[in-house]
Amino acid sequence: MNIKLLLSDIYWVFWREIKKFAQQKARLMMVVIQPLIWLVLMGNSMSGLTRNPQAAQMLGTGNYLDFMTPGIMIMTALFGGVFGGVTIVWDRRTGYLNKMLAAPIYRAAIPLGKLLSIGLQTMLQALIIVIISLFLGVHFKTGFPGVIALLFISGMFGVIMGGISLSLSSRIKSMETLMAVSNFLTMPLMFTSNAMFPTNAMPAWLKAIALGNPVSYAVHAMRTISTQGWIWTEFWPALIALTCIMVVIVALAIRLFSRSVN
Amino acid sequence: MKTIIEAQGLTKVYKGGILAVDHVSFSVFEGEIFGFLGPNGAGKSTTIALLTTLLSPTKGTATINGIDIIKHAYQARLELGFVSQDLAVEDSLTGFDNLRLQAGFYHLSRTEARDRIAEVLKMVDLTARAKDKVETYSGGMRKRLDIACGLIHRPRILFLDEPTLGLDIQTRREIWKYINNLREQIKMTIFLTTHYMDEADSLCDRIAIIDRGIIKTLDTPVALKDAIRHEVENPTLDDVFLHHTGKEMRDDPTSKEQAYKSRMIMRRARG
Repeated sequence: MNIKLLLSDIYWVFWREIKKFAQQKARLMMVVIQPLIWLVLMGNSMSGLTRNPQAAQMLGTGNYLDFMTPGIMIMTALFGGVFGGVTIVWDRRTGYLNKMLAAPIYRAAIPLGKLLSIGLQTMLQALIIVIISLFLGVHFKTGFPGVIALLFISGMFGVIMGGISLSLSSRIKSMETLMAVSNFLTMPLMFTSNAMFPTNAMPAWLKAIALGNPVSYAVHAMRTISTQGWIWTEFWPALIALTCIMVVIVALAIRLFSRSVN
Repeated sequence: MKTIIEAQGLTKVYKGGILAVDHVSFSVFEGEIFGFLGPNGAGKSTTIALLTTLLSPTKGTATINGIDIIKHAYQARLELGFVSQDLAVEDSLTGFDNLRLQAGFYHLSRTEARDRIAEVLKMVDLTARAKDKVETYSGGMRKRLDIACGLIHRPRILFLDEPTLGLDIQTRREIWKYINNLREQIKMTIFLTTHYMDEADSLCDRIAIIDRGIIKTLDTPVALKDAIRHEVENPTLDDVFLHHTGKEMRDDPTSKEQAYKSRMIMRRARG
């Protein structure tokens, strides 16, 4: 295997995705508007509900927006990443996939380049959420380095969701089915996690599920950084778990993709 | 004449036991336009997918410019250009960016890419529109851009899978002109499939007719027509085609469900 050629192939697949993304003005708008809606509508109404000592204790912070911002970042990563596989189904349908496969490019470069672009797009979205939330008065306890860590974790999470979606798309070859399955995945993942509501406020059975949900790892690591500070004993286990999940998912996505085109 | 494609007993059996290509052997010579004709589902697309390394054969092999497509798929890919029937160009990018991307897939250096892009744009007369987005192009321009993409790495052989599918007669003639230019100006070998007999007749040096995975006949258009002159007066290539593939519409004894199922399997395997 020639690493230089592999990197070049990944770069060009990535280049294509980013270039296409940048051309889609409507999609870029949605990237800004969607988190804005969540933060302004949901964030503000929940703030009214949670302005009392008991709620503050459950949230671990006096301000619901502080609590919610990392959750919104992960939710955006989840919704962005989970449609990563759609681009493969689309490429298959338009014939562009065959065009790439007839070229001397490494098969693994196709999922890797796509995942890289999903990771970058997710980080960009997370950055926009940070900027919006700063305007809304959200306070990031660990400052600039903390924000970098938040973006990084969001990106990782986007790659994980993208990897799941790409793996599915190696088997599911119709757009409609893939969309349906992806939608089916996102809601339960979201609402069985600590992204929107503190686990302390959940019934015991839901709390048990929430603690095992990878969304919760990511949100927990991010929330620790943004609302409490660099508490390493909280941060590292979550980050390591997330990294392991990412490596496994990416490997699976590459394997299933390579098999599906052979 | 130098042989540039040599297929030896090429066979593809899809999952479910559907025999799409059945021990096909033929040679394509350097510099010729080789027509590959057959009814729907005859095995044309499968044969192209095998030769362009998009599918691996169940049995048999082929060489492209002497390179084995199974043992050295990577090198074989450098020798061939593939223009599918799908019109696979990126609408949201400019013509130039489409070619830049293609040059990247073939590992051309920055300066090399710039020169080659200028060269292929000129070949298909798109230089003036290179900076425009493809979504503003006409059908014929898109096809020309697609062909230019297939030429960026100067392949020895270009596979054109139904290059004029869905184009009007004026645009088809225009595409023929570019295909002819490729042969005359850069001595490109072209492997072409089409459903239009007039197209095959006017473009191709030699024609193979495939049906149910088997090559029925292979010769020059003139010889093919001469061979059935005892049956038909002033035969056209249409007559030749019908002679070898049968006049009846396909009504296989298998059930409707079976036919549908086999079609889905083939489509899925081809992607």
